[in-house]
Amino acid sequence: MPEQEIVIIISCPWKCNEISEESAMSMLNQKNRLRLVWVALTVIAVGLTALTAGLLARPASAAPAPHQNFLATTNDVCLACHGKDGFKIKLDSGETLVLTISGDQFGQSTHGQNGLSCITCHVDIQGYPHPARTMESIRDVKLKYYTSCQQCHVEQYNKTLDSYHQAALAAGNKNAAVCADCHNPHTQKPIAQLSRSEIPTICAKCHSGVYEQYKESVHGAALLDEGNPDVPTCIDCHGVHNIGDPKTVEFRLKSPTEMCGRCHTNKSMMDKYGISTQVLTTYVADFHGTTVTLFEKETPDQQTNKPVCFDCHGVHDIKRVDDPQKGLAMKKNILAVCQKCHPTANIENFTDAWLGHYAPDVEKFPLVYYVNLFYQFLIPGVLGGMAVFVISDIVRRIIDNRKGGSH
Amino acid sequence: MTETTRSYERFSLARRIEHLIMLLSFSTLGLTGLPQKYPLNNFSQAVVLMFGGIENLRSVHHVAAIIMVIGTVYHIVILGYKLYVDRIQLTMLPTLQDAKDGIQAFLYNLGLGKHRPQMGRYTFEEKMEYWAFVWGALVMVATGFIMWNPIAATRFLPGEFIPASKAAHGGEAVLAVLAIILWHFYGVHLKLFNKSMWTGKMSEEEMLHEHPLELADVKAGKDKVYYPASVLNKRRFVYLPVALILTGLGLYAVYSFVTMEVTAIDTLPDAVPGPAYLPQTATPEPSPTPAIQSVDLTWESVVGPMLQQKCIGCHMPNGAAGLDLSTYAGIMNGGKKGPVITINDSANSRLVIIQSAGGHPGQLSAEELGRIKTWIDSGALEK
Repeated sequence: MPEQEIVIIISCPWKCNEISEESAMSMLNQKNRLRLVWVALTVIAVGLTALTAGLLARPASAAPAPHQNFLATTNDVCLACHGKDGFKIKLDSGETLVLTISGDQFGQSTHGQNGLSCITCHVDIQGYPHPARTMESIRDVKLKYYTSCQQCHVEQYNKTLDSYHQAALAAGNKNAAVCADCHNPHTQKPIAQLSRSEIPTICAKCHSGVYEQYKESVHGAALLDEGNPDVPTCIDCHGVHNIGDPKTVEFRLKSPTEMCGRCHTNKSMMDKYGISTQVLTTYVADFHGTTVTLFEKETPDQQTNKPVCFDCHGVHDIKRVDDPQKGLAMKKNILAVCQKCHPTANIENFTDAWLGHYAPDVEKFPLVYYVNLFYQFLIPGVLGGMAVFVISDIVRRIIDNRKGGSH
Repeated sequence: MTETTRSYERFSLARRIEHLIMLLSFSTLGLTGLPQKYPLNNFSQAVVLMFGGIENLRSVHHVAAIIMVIGTVYHIVILGYKLYVDRIQLTMLPTLQDAKDGIQAFLYNLGLGKHRPQMGRYTFEEKMEYWAFVWGALVMVATGFIMWNPIAATRFLPGEFIPASKAAHGGEAVLAVLAIILWHFYGVHLKLFNKSMWTGKMSEEEMLHEHPLELADVKAGKDKVYYPASVLNKRRFVYLPVALILTGLGLYAVYSFVTMEVTAIDTLPDAVPGPAYLPQTATPEPSPTPAIQSVDLTWESVVGPMLQQKCIGCHMPNGAAGLDLSTYAGIMNGGKKGPVITINDSANSRLVIIQSAGGHPGQLSAEELGRIKTWIDSGALEK
């Protein structure tokens, strides 16, 4: 606040070296006591004016508009306490809530770099003292503030309203993920700076069982060990923000074309790994895929128990088909998969009924190839011959009728 | 020649009913089968929907197949009766004459022959039709069985036979349906509208055009051999058990065909095991940023100068309470009442106790006292 320098000039008319100590003291006690009082009053009045002026000159500390490069000093006010190490409180649940926030980390975060102040999100806090705490557990704290994200991240927030997490939350499951569970608002770096390999580690926080499986799978190992950009992360299959229930009929029926098929029919991608792009067409041509396709097209809300890609290949534990232990190219492995639905099929021979996503040719599945070839000749041959005869017969009868019917 | 009104019986009622049943089952099989071969076609999908979905469609296909197989069993049994009891002529067997007839007919059509061939009870067209049906039925029943009971089939056959059966079944279906439309419909509906399979009779004129040799035999009385009743009865007596056995076997075959195996479970395959929510062990409280002071917190760097300001006014050599706070040795020696510093134990250090109580003439601030405590707990280092 602007300070005014107050200069008080006290004129001292007495010559102190001319008077005794006693008289000097008595003089102070009498006439000049009054003057001293006036001076003091003046000082106080001016001081109060200055203070008031200073206070009024400060802008009101309402919640600032987002993305405004708000005064950094506002955050410093919060960080004066919250920047201290070891700042924590005990909640009713017995948990310890750590209230220390690293100012440096926040400054390096995307929110910090965009000049957001603490109270942009902590909208209920205007100053100190803070409003009475109603949160009983750490989870309650996270759940209290996540709706703040909607102020800026409208699109993503609206998408989360359709998500399975949100539905679980509404049904009373407090463990369901909210914005802050995946994106720590105090430390989140700009998304563009993050690598895809980090995505599964975020979901792993709650779905650690799945993560352990995914880590060992062909997709997960390629992502986490090699940073492969082509393999799917959690969000490629499950979506992000509007993550749906993967156990629904819709998810299941659409998965071959819209999930797995997106990459596995992409020639430029699959050629890098020598993987066939015929997998979807061969699947649809066969009994399982035909059924699933018809269900999806005609009755997409009706469940069918015919397998989709992940029923055979695994959900989170997908391995290469030539994996030495679990690869489906090995008959005993694929027999085990078949037995999930065909429990009485206990001969490896049975697995040969599946063409393995191959279109039959002379080398692979020659019997099927030759049967097809046989009919490719037989049908036109027989029908062609019949047609020739029938046409000749028609023509002849017409001619004969015109001529007056000889036979 | 005047038209006679005489008509000749061509098909008995039993034959006509048999044909009707075959007609209906064949049409149903075609209608429910072809959409399965071409499922992505719009018309196919309309048919599938009409039947209430692919599962229903397949059920109807199976039922029609059973009916056709039962019809085939009946046909075989009745044929046995006709051959053994009635001793009919094997008029349906293809002969060299039929080939000749076919060629003659074709040549006539091309204008290269004088007459159409004169044929007997079953013309070469009809024989082709019948034996094509026999061939087709064999293929369809065999491949159909393999596909309906794949697990049983693979006990005897290599697994590849299943997709091969699917290919053969589909190919044969296309051939059969198109052949019926092209050959059969032309022959009995278009060439002449042949009502004999409906009424059972053919007129003399039709007989003359279509089956002149049979007509001649009928007029000459040579079409049938008449046996005495006793002979017929004896044959019937022999044939009845045979017929029953054949029928029994046939029906049993159909029954086991249908109930042989439960190919697949009704429910969904296993879902992902384990609970979805399996949080990782929560990280404990974040460890505080390491106190940088403790590295540099020594008597020399911090504590000495700090105490110098506030304390050595009284606590100099020979100072208050015999405590000299101007040197490291002094503070570690303590005063008249004993040591003021207990290394690594700030709570029990006299200096801390007195200062914590407050009110000491030289009072350290809370922050300064905190530093003293940390210094003591870190070993009260000199340098």
